[in-house]
Amino acid sequence: MEMSVHEAIRLLAAKGRTGDAGAFREFQELASHVKEADQLLMLANLAKKVFAQEVSNLPIVRMGLLGACTFHPWKHLLEVRLLGEGVRPLFTDGLFDNYTAEILEPGGILESGQQDFILLCPSAHRLIKPTLAQENGALGREMAATSARELLELCRKAHERTQAEIILANFPLPCRQDWGSFRNRTMATDWTFRRAVNLELGLTAPAFVRLCDREYLEARLGLEKAEDRRGWFESKQPGSPALLAVLASEVARLVAQVRSPMKKVLVLDLDNTLWGGVIGEDGLDGIELGDTSPRGEAFKDFQKYIKSLKDRGVLLAVCSKNDEAKALEPFEKHPEMVLKREDFVAFYANWEPKSENLCRMAAELRLGLDSFVFVDDNPAEVEIVRQFTPEVGRVLLGPDPAEHTAQLQDSRFFEPRQITKEDGVRSEQYHAEAQRKGMESQCADMDSYLASLEMVAVVQPFRLVDLPRIAQLIAKSNQFNVTTRRRTEAELTAISQNPEWGHFSVRLRDRFGDHGLISVVILHFKNGVAEIDTWLMSCRVLKRQVEEVVLNEILRQARGRGCREVTGFYLPTGKNGIVKDLFSRFGFIPQEKGEPGKCYGLTIQDFRPLVHRISLQQDEPT
Amino acid sequence: MSQPDGEILLKLQTVVDGLFLDPPRMTHQTKATDVAEWDSLMQISILVAVEKEFGVRFRTGEVEATRNVGEFCALIRQRMVEP
Repeated sequence: MEMSVHEAIRLLAAKGRTGDAGAFREFQELASHVKEADQLLMLANLAKKVFAQEVSNLPIVRMGLLGACTFHPWKHLLEVRLLGEGVRPLFTDGLFDNYTAEILEPGGILESGQQDFILLCPSAHRLIKPTLAQENGALGREMAATSARELLELCRKAHERTQAEIILANFPLPCRQDWGSFRNRTMATDWTFRRAVNLELGLTAPAFVRLCDREYLEARLGLEKAEDRRGWFESKQPGSPALLAVLASEVARLVAQVRSPMKKVLVLDLDNTLWGGVIGEDGLDGIELGDTSPRGEAFKDFQKYIKSLKDRGVLLAVCSKNDEAKALEPFEKHPEMVLKREDFVAFYANWEPKSENLCRMAAELRLGLDSFVFVDDNPAEVEIVRQFTPEVGRVLLGPDPAEHTAQLQDSRFFEPRQITKEDGVRSEQYHAEAQRKGMESQCADMDSYLASLEMVAVVQPFRLVDLPRIAQLIAKSNQFNVTTRRRTEAELTAISQNPEWGHFSVRLRDRFGDHGLISVVILHFKNGVAEIDTWLMSCRVLKRQVEEVVLNEILRQARGRGCREVTGFYLPTGKNGIVKDLFSRFGFIPQEKGEPGKCYGLTIQDFRPLVHRISLQQDEPT
Repeated sequence: MSQPDGEILLKLQTVVDGLFLDPPRMTHQTKATDVAEWDSLMQISILVAVEKEFGVRFRTGEVEATRNVGEFCALIRQRMVEP
């Protein structure tokens, strides 16, 4: 099976390269059906290199990606799934782990163009749960409710700014034993706390939030299979390749559900679908149905599930190759039938092709064919329906009736799309409650958000113990890096001993934890001018006002050396566009000199220390 | 248990043949940067396929440290012997 999918993809690649007109249709078919991450990756490669033209003809869906993880290569798997759904995604990636600022602050990806969807994968590490000593049951629940509310407020803000549908991933549960069976006994464990937050999110999320239920999806896949610690440490992957495939399928499904009409009618075959055997041949006594045999029990169970769909509002219909009188007999006379004739809005038992019956049924019920789902155990009937009425959803049942319910459930045709009116009222109530409790104040605007982070920065000259980390940042930082000058540890040691040079690093921590050493600055003092030789920062602390802290320190040092002016250079590299306007944003004046790149100057006399929400600690206690 | 590097290279070639549209000929000197089609997506495809085909699991950070196909083959062999 495995090999044959790979082989199919290989053949498709060859076919696509010859310009075969039907190849892309086959690609889309595979894109919807392959299961494994490696197969999706192969298809992603084809989408890019073989089918670029066909892909560019599909309608566009714009999606902003925000979260505390890397979306590469995951977004390519999602792209394949979406191409299978007939749409082409245009992704905009937010900054890594910066989703709160991206949503609250003007600019950023929410203003980089209209978005149809915003996917938000929040960080489980930002959840603040009670300690074992604090926990008394009620506190943990209150804290879980608060976490959920804050997250939903962020979703609301993102939705209000963009009108986009928000796809919110909930929190994965920890896979390892850690607390043992005690994990369930207190809200102080990640296991229980995250479940409580997820439950709260599910029960209170407004209609524009679609939940990508990671808790369920990972449980279904298996927590051990979903986890990938190596992937996290190497490149901040949200999970294993297998999990990426599952998440891609789910998000594509959520997108498709927003875009396409819901199925309304379930059309059922009779023989070997609702009961075992053929009523026309085996007779009322001969068919398998009911608790006297395992198979009979399974068919009865399938009928119970169908009945529950009817109770949810799905219309039922019969489409069977039978004489009508024979087909009706079990409904009228068999004691174990769960479904009754009056449960069905249409009953077509005849010898006409099923596709024609479906068309007549659609006309009779005044519904489009795309509202119908056809269920049959006979591959030939399903194929006729596929060929002549392709709009109709199809489920081909397997030979074992024990699997019928699962097959129909996993076809996902009858999942509810919209929440009911009552749900709408509930989400309004939740919003009012959030306002009453003043919960919004935590993230109502950027300033109070920053204040709530309780940030503390340590600004200090290079220390020997920090040099490896400083050298690593200098070697690897590409985005927030004004000059991208690389230096070895030995060169840094020389600089740190030379009085012509100034230098400092910044560490940052907040109420969620320690970010470590995240910014490095090197200054060159010469003729009354302090030149910013190097200024770089880890992207995960962008929009936290670390820039303000850094500039204040640069000016403090320059003043201390008796300088009149500070100059900064922006040397474009293709990767550091993020700091293009950094200097002008803080009042530096562009100057003539400075090729290549751009030179900026600031007169020290004019500078007033910048205001920020970070407390300073000059020396780190050792 | 242990396979000579030549056999590992041969098997790696079949993995690569299955993934690339225009498969490059793998030598010990080949580098990802030499092959146009070998982008970051292809790199992930290769790693997933290699771990599956060879039944190995690389440790954190060690694939990134290899500089060419020869070093990569040596790493595969090492992980076959010492998982």
